[in-house]
Order: sequence, then structure tokens, then C-alpha cells
Amino acid sequence: MRGSVPAALSGFLIVPTNRRSKDRSRFARWHDSQTDLIRLDLTPGRPGRVRTRVLPVDPAGVDLPRPAAVAASDRRLTETANGGYATQPNHGVNVAGNTLWATNLLFGAPLEVDLAAWKPRRVLRYLELSEAAPRVSGTSHFAWSLDHRFAYFHQSLLERERDGSPVRAADLSLVELDVATGAERVWRLRPPPDDPAMETANFHSGFFFEEGGCRYVGLLRTGALLESLEPHSAPLDHAVLPAPASTIWIVQLDPQANDLQAELLPGVKELDGLALSHLDVDASGGDGFVLYANFKEADVAEETHGANVYGEVAEAVAEHYSGMVVEALNYGLVVRYERRGGRTSVRTFARPYDPGRTSLGHSWLPINIQLDSARRRLFCSFSGFRPRLLPEHIARAYPARVVEPPTAGFVPPALIRFDAETLELDSNGSGRGHVAYAEPMAMTVAGDGDSDYVCTFSPEVGLRVYDADDLDRLVFRAESPRLMSWGDTHFRPEPAHISFVPA
Amino acid sequence: MEGWPDPPFLRGEGPEFIEQINTTNDVVARLEEAGWDFEAVPEIFARQSAACDVAAKEIVTVFDGERQTRWGRLIIKGAGARFNLMSHESPLARYVGARPSVFALVNSQVGSKGLHDFKEFAEMDPPQEVEFYNPSVFYQARDVVFWNALNGFQLFPSGFEDVRRVLASGNVIRNLLFRPGAPTKSAWEIAEGEERRPIFMEGFSGVQFPTGVVEWMPKPLYGGMSEQALHIETLLTTDETDLAHPYLDLVAEGRLRIDEQTYFMRRFMGISQKDALRGPGVPPEGARR
Repeated sequence: MRGSVPAALSGFLIVPTNRRSKDRSRFARWHDSQTDLIRLDLTPGRPGRVRTRVLPVDPAGVDLPRPAAVAASDRRLTETANGGYATQPNHGVNVAGNTLWATNLLFGAPLEVDLAAWKPRRVLRYLELSEAAPRVSGTSHFAWSLDHRFAYFHQSLLERERDGSPVRAADLSLVELDVATGAERVWRLRPPPDDPAMETANFHSGFFFEEGGCRYVGLLRTGALLESLEPHSAPLDHAVLPAPASTIWIVQLDPQANDLQAELLPGVKELDGLALSHLDVDASGGDGFVLYANFKEADVAEETHGANVYGEVAEAVAEHYSGMVVEALNYGLVVRYERRGGRTSVRTFARPYDPGRTSLGHSWLPINIQLDSARRRLFCSFSGFRPRLLPEHIARAYPARVVEPPTAGFVPPALIRFDAETLELDSNGSGRGHVAYAEPMAMTVAGDGDSDYVCTFSPEVGLRVYDADDLDRLVFRAESPRLMSWGDTHFRPEPAHISFVPA
Repeated sequence: MEGWPDPPFLRGEGPEFIEQINTTNDVVARLEEAGWDFEAVPEIFARQSAACDVAAKEIVTVFDGERQTRWGRLIIKGAGARFNLMSHESPLARYVGARPSVFALVNSQVGSKGLHDFKEFAEMDPPQEVEFYNPSVFYQARDVVFWNALNGFQLFPSGFEDVRRVLASGNVIRNLLFRPGAPTKSAWEIAEGEERRPIFMEGFSGVQFPTGVVEWMPKPLYGGMSEQALHIETLLTTDETDLAHPYLDLVAEGRLRIDEQTYFMRRFMGISQKDALRGPGVPPEGARR
């Protein structure tokens, strides 16, 4: 621990991490990897204190206080479906009060955790599994009502692939969770008539807004397309079905209805971006919204394995491990979509990496996107590009989108501050303090309205906290070699997200 | 890192040196003014492949709960006549020089031949012994640019951004110089079409810094010569620990004795990765422009 913890950061940082075998040839999908939830307790002071607590998650849910919450039939399906589980929340963080809902990228139901006690409470699954549909998918990053009382997320069954057709979603549902009373309700969702494909009906993030006295939920239809429900029995090259351009579904909430009809948000499909994933939203005022979201331009249903775009076998690529999060096909896109007072406007940021002009940043594999406490600045993290980790069989499916391998160089990760109004780089008065390269990907902005801080974390690098006004100004950092590995056999790769919970 | 062809040794003396200082100051000022964009100062932008990488390393880390000493035996693959090696460390770190004997001392008690336990190590040419000299510390990004520009070296923007992040996180850059007795042939000494065969060098270093926890060395950036490194890491602690290395396999465990002190020992071995790798045949970032 070096530096001092400011008073505004009294609280917790929550990081969902996972374990990977040090034997890099062992295939395991990222989704399926054992979850360790990490809680970093921040105590303000000089130097202050950072303590960590790790919660290993039982994916079968049998350690829950109410094990009946995971029915015996579910457990049987979990055991029989190769790689199946009731919950494997190694990705998203959703918090209200003393409760955390941790989620997976794509599979499994959210796990509810008592934050203070740091113990799991229950698995939130609202659909009945069957032999033909043995898994569920859900929204990783929930939508929240303006008063933060209601959480909204999608959940659907995943039906096995059959007769040459890929995995399909079924029983699309929207869940409302009253975090004050614990009451829940579930609507069935009908897809927009012009976006009906159930093969790609999955939604990584959601947002809430009000307009004309009505309440709405927007769902980012990410569009991951799975060829099979089970992980590969062997990490061989295979035919990849290309994912379609992402869209956004808008659903008007109707307390009287059982079914809700979704509509497409105009102008999003036309952006022609892949893997619309993360967002932040300013829906204040109750008349529309300003949405900030990012397209990864990656096939997020696939994993790394097999030969890369240079024809190198995986064993020849030291940084490779089978089943890691897939690399982007090309640089991605950040979008600012404003719909207020009956008017709509769209701004975008898309930029390749120019080594001669690093102050301009880039948009390769956008991950985190978050407004500061005043909603005037937008902070985004971009994972960059490791060209040797792009598998040939994935690139082959996207000839019109993929970067030319001979010209594709390494692109370092970048953390960038934008002006939230214009979506231009926010370089005012800070020299180069608006772009920071080589930071860990997991990033969050925390503050009390007067001061904002940007926190980044990876097990290898540790926790770093910067002044949001100047990403070159470190406030404090902390590291522990204990977070890097699990036992002698596993390590914890870089996580995607971190979230701050004030005390 | 060394450029291609070998940069001339630029430093003069007396008035000539003062003139070089002024010129270098101008380079630094222009780069800083341009927000560290290399396009504005092309003379600092490395266009050719860098030519120096650690290809194998044996590290002995001694940790007593308050202080860590890291002894290193480095096998460096390079093409050139003189080189520099930059690493990052705590501003409170002390460079303690070389201690080659510690590796024999450890290996004899572990029952290991050190790097020779790797079959791949035998495939490397026998290394020339080099000594690190003129250890210096860079405290600011402008120090890094200044030193490199003054000495005729150039930088890659991604590597420089990594350095900026190290400095922004409150660490410093340690720079070590070394030169082999029999350097690689210069570009003008080889026949047309002849390949410039890299050489291997062996150097020892040591650094000590205060810390309450063991700090593993971070992943280095690819320097253009060796995409990975054979890596042995021996952790010696005064208290028993089950701490593991994040990437290397545990290969031995026990106790051993050094300097009249008994330590708990955990030894890790494997291939360690580098960051910023590019595909085969893909030129470094400057040359792609």
C-alpha cells in the first residue's frame, strides 16, 4: 500500500475474478471458469488501508443458506450438462444497499451475495430447465430505475443446438426486482418484428429511462451466436457462424400486462457494430436519456484456441491459453445516443491506434464505460489488441471486418477520458492526463461529487487509484501476490470489471 | 534498447558536449510540448526492430517480511555492440550489484543445474559474460527521453507509454548499460544478404527494496529478439509460506541455507511470457507507418 486513501473512497471495491489452470493447453471457456469474488475494503487515511477478502463461489449453489433454491433436478442437469452450473458469476457486478448480484458473461443465473457478511444468499433463476434447454442466459449488467429501487434484467433459456442450427434463446423474460421489499415480477418478452432471431437474442447490459410519463427498459442485444451449448471436447478449429450487427431493444413496462412487446431503437443497427456490450446512461429528468455504449467488434461467443491468424499453433504462442476472452477483429466503436424532448442525435468515437499520435487514443476492444459523478466526463477503458491471440478460424468468418494480419501490430490497452457532451477527448488543462496506456482493464470511477477517482485493478498489477482530473496523478496503489494465484496450480487472469460500493 | 544499425557513440566533451545537451533538451521540450506524440519529433521515433531481450533468467528472491532482495542471472539475446536494459522498481530500491555465487549455492542445495535444467537452454549459443555498468535512475518521462536522445538511442511509442505508466504509478526506471567483448558484426561489416547473427550474453544484477509483501517481477515488453524467456524463480522466506508464482510451476519446496541463515524455499520454473508481441514478419510500430 503506497499513498493515502481519500475519505470519498470509504467503502468496498468488488471484483469478480476467475481461476485458470497454469497448464495453458487445458481448454476451459471463460464463462465456465471457477469464480472467486474479491472484496477490497478501503479504509481512508494516510496511508489508509486496503484489505482483501475472497469468496470462492460454489457453482452448484449447494452451499447456499437455502439449498432448496437450487432444486435437485437443476443440480442433476448441472451435473449432466458438460460444463453446466447453476451460477458462475465471474463477470458483472450489480449492487444495491448491502446486496451484490454477481453475474456471468453469458451463462448461468445471478448470484445474490450479502455484502457485509460476504456470504452468498441465493441464485436468481426464474425459468424451468429441461433436457432440451438445460441452461439460462441473462443480463450481466442490470438496468436501474431512476431512484435505484428497481433492478431490471433479462433472463432466457438456452436450447441446445440441433439439426445444424445453433443454440437458441427461449422463454425470453424481463425480471423486475424491488430491492427495497424483495418483491419480484417476471414478464415474457416478445422480440421486435424486425429483429426476431432467437439465435442471437442475448443482452449483456440494460438501462432504464422514462419518457412521456411512461417507464422503459432498453436492452443491448449483443448478438453472441453459439454453435453449441457445451464447451469443446477438444480445442480444434471449427466453422464459426458470424454474429450479426447488434441492436437495442426498447421495452415499455406495463404493470398490468403479462407480455411486453420490444421495439428496436432506431439508428443502432445501422451503425453495423458487433457485440454491443457495456453502457452508462444519464436518464435524469425523466424525459428520455443520453446513452453511452460500446461495440467490441469481436465475436464474443468464441474463445481462443487453435492456430492464430499467422498460422502459429497455440503451443508456439507463450501468451496463449485456451479459452481466454477472444480478441477483437478490428477497432471498436463508442456511441453517444441522445433521445430527449422528441429529438435524437448520435455521436461516435472509432479510431485505430496511431503509434505516432498516442495522445489521440484508440478504440480497440472497448470494455468499461462510465460517467463521472457530475455526468460531464466519460471514462472508457479499451483492451487493445494482441494479434497473436486472434484465432484463424474466427477471423475467417469475418472477411469484411477483420484487420489485415500483416499490418496488425500490438495495440496497448488505453484508459481515456472524454467530454460527455461531445464525445471528444477531454484534454482540457491536463496535458496528457486524459489518456493512460498500459492500465489494467477493470476500471471504475468513484467520487462524492466534489472529487472523482479512477480505480483500476488486476491481480497482477494490483489496485491503482488516480485523480480523475489527471490520469497521471496517482492517489494510492496497493498490491498483493496472494491475489495472483490460487493454490499452486491456478492463476487469476485479468478481470473485466470492478465496482465501488460506498460505506 | 539498441537500434539498427548501431548508433554512433554521440557523447562529446567540453563545448561539444554542452551543445549536445542543448540539442537534446530541445528534443525533450518538443516531445513534451507535443503531448508525447512521436510524430512531432521523428528523430526519437525508433523505426527499426529493437535488438535486445532477456531469453532466460534465473532469479533468487529473498524476503524477510520487510525487505526483498532480488538476485538475477540474465541471459540476454541481442544484436549490436552496446546495450541498455531498463527495469522498473521502487524509488527506495538500492542497486546492490552482482552476486553470481548465490545461484550455485542455491542450485547445489536444490539439486538442480539451474537454467541447464531446460533442454532449450542447450540450444542457445554459449553466452559471453558481460558486466552491467553505469546504473542510473530515471524519475520522469523526460529523463527517459533525454538519456536516450543524448546517447543516440531511439524509442518505440508503446514502450514509452509503458514507461510513463510505471512512473505515474510512483516507481522509477533503472537503466543498466552493458557491452559484449565480441559484439555482433556491424551492419557495414556483413556481406549483402548475410544475416546479422545475434549473440548471447550473461549478466548478473541485484536489487533490494523495502516491501511488506513479495513482489514478483512484472511481464516485460517484447524487445524484438526473444518472444519468451526460460524462467526459474527461487523464493526464499524467513517465514514458511505457500505463496505461488502466478505463471510458473512449483518444482521444489524445502529449506536451504545461505549466509548462515536458514530459509524456507519454494522454487518455480517454466516459460514466462512477454507483452507487446507481434506476429511473425510484422515489423515494429515505427516501420509500419
